[in-house]
Amino acid sequence: MSVVQIRDLTFAYEKEIVLEHIDLEVEEKDFLAIIGPNGGGKSTLLKLILGVNKIQDGSIKVFGESPQKALSRIGYVPQNTNINTDFPIKVIEVVLMGHVGEKRPLFGYGKEELACASGALAQVGMQAYAQSKIGSLSGGQRQRVMIARALCAHPRILILDEPTSSIDSTGQKEIYELLKMLNKDITVIVVSHDISVILEYANKAAYVNRQLSYHDISDKRQVLPAHGSQEHFCEIELLQMLSGSTQNGHAQEQKKPTPHWSETK
Amino acid sequence: MIEALSYGFVQHAILAGILVSLAAGIIGSLIVVNRMVFLAGGIAHTSYGGIGLAIYFGLPIFLGASLFAVGAALLIAVLTVKNRHRIDTFIGLIWAVGMAIGVIFVDLTPGYNVDLMGYLFGSILAVNTQDLYFMGGLLAVILFVITFRYRHILAVSYDSEYAALRGVNVKFYYTLTLILSALTVVIAIKVVGLILVIAMLTIPVYIAEKLSNSLFSMMFVSGAIATLFTLVGLWFSYTYNLTSGASIILVSAASLGLFLLFYRK
Repeated sequence: MSVVQIRDLTFAYEKEIVLEHIDLEVEEKDFLAIIGPNGGGKSTLLKLILGVNKIQDGSIKVFGESPQKALSRIGYVPQNTNINTDFPIKVIEVVLMGHVGEKRPLFGYGKEELACASGALAQVGMQAYAQSKIGSLSGGQRQRVMIARALCAHPRILILDEPTSSIDSTGQKEIYELLKMLNKDITVIVVSHDISVILEYANKAAYVNRQLSYHDISDKRQVLPAHGSQEHFCEIELLQMLSGSTQNGHAQEQKKPTPHWSETK
Repeated sequence: MIEALSYGFVQHAILAGILVSLAAGIIGSLIVVNRMVFLAGGIAHTSYGGIGLAIYFGLPIFLGASLFAVGAALLIAVLTVKNRHRIDTFIGLIWAVGMAIGVIFVDLTPGYNVDLMGYLFGSILAVNTQDLYFMGGLLAVILFVITFRYRHILAVSYDSEYAALRGVNVKFYYTLTLILSALTVVIAIKVVGLILVIAMLTIPVYIAEKLSNSLFSMMFVSGAIATLFTLVGLWFSYTYNLTSGASIILVSAASLGLFLLFYRK
């Protein structure tokens, strides 16, 4: 069953077209990487799936419903979790924010919510820090807390916007391992710049630059150009390949990249 | 000193000092974490317009100042929802125009020689029973809101974008925070005056921020610290016959200096 289904979506801010004729199908338990240049429309696409931006033309169905209706089943991890680090708030309180807007006691936090929040923290391996101040954590730890906050609502899809943009490489690896583990049960959609890393974990890739080109990369060894060791891919070639703008120009809708790309280097 | 406590006006001053300090500690915390300090300054100064109008029309000063300050807060809320990046211009404008209105209306009031200094720098020794009811009432409202809506206020203050996604009415809580700030500023005018009120809303909060790991504890720690500063300031003011508002602020500033000197994280 497809969890996110986008059909012929076009979106513009005022007169400037940001996304044009986008089609996208995300299946259950996919790990989709959304990549592309800054200003290419990645964040806009996320905001449309989250129902923050209104759909102008075309359609988006999340679990067969409008994005607004499906919102409670989407877990969202925003970009820039390093803002507001001075804020006096405990880790557990951040996670409990995932529950805001649902049924709850008159004041304080309910037992169920607390249990749920602790469970979410345990899932990301941060339960020992429940009472710590958020500002005392490292960037990677803070990102885990934000993932726990998203998990608190028991989502069926987890959407992350640049989850590793301000984290050191060890922390990045840990975040992706965590996402891989979570991906056993839920669908994961990640917007990212770390192309070579993300593609090791993703099974689908969407390159967004006004238009969208979509690739099934579950069999990476065959599809992607390897570079030196098999674990790493050359970013420039990847970008060329995924954007569909290699030597033969317009290959926007290329579904199955042909193996000859792996020989271009 | 002990015999001073038997005078009615001293008792009133002490009670007013405690009520206002607690309110300032709680609301000051919200103002600081939401980065609305300049905004609170604007509301403080513009409320002089309300004082001028109240004098001209023969209304209670608190009523005039409150209505005017709340009006300014609502105006700022409306303007900032659409034009967030121009907020400093609007605040500067409201800051000056409110004061100008106040000055002109005091000019127009026939035969009334207003004690302008009392409003600019506080006149805590002139607090009457009616003022105390107003202060106590506002503190009760603040405590009520904080008790029953803490998690919403916390969510909106910490991460308004995420709170909105989880169904919290961000505009409502932003406006509510502004209105409570406006009313707190008005009662604090009686104690420290509208020019010095900013220091009362920020110095205790700055110290409390270092000592707390949640917004809740920060609110009450800064309330306690503000109370201490106010009482010590009042003692100085009484003993050496100094202006009470200025004494309170200098006690606060000196304590902050000592705190920064000796506090090591």
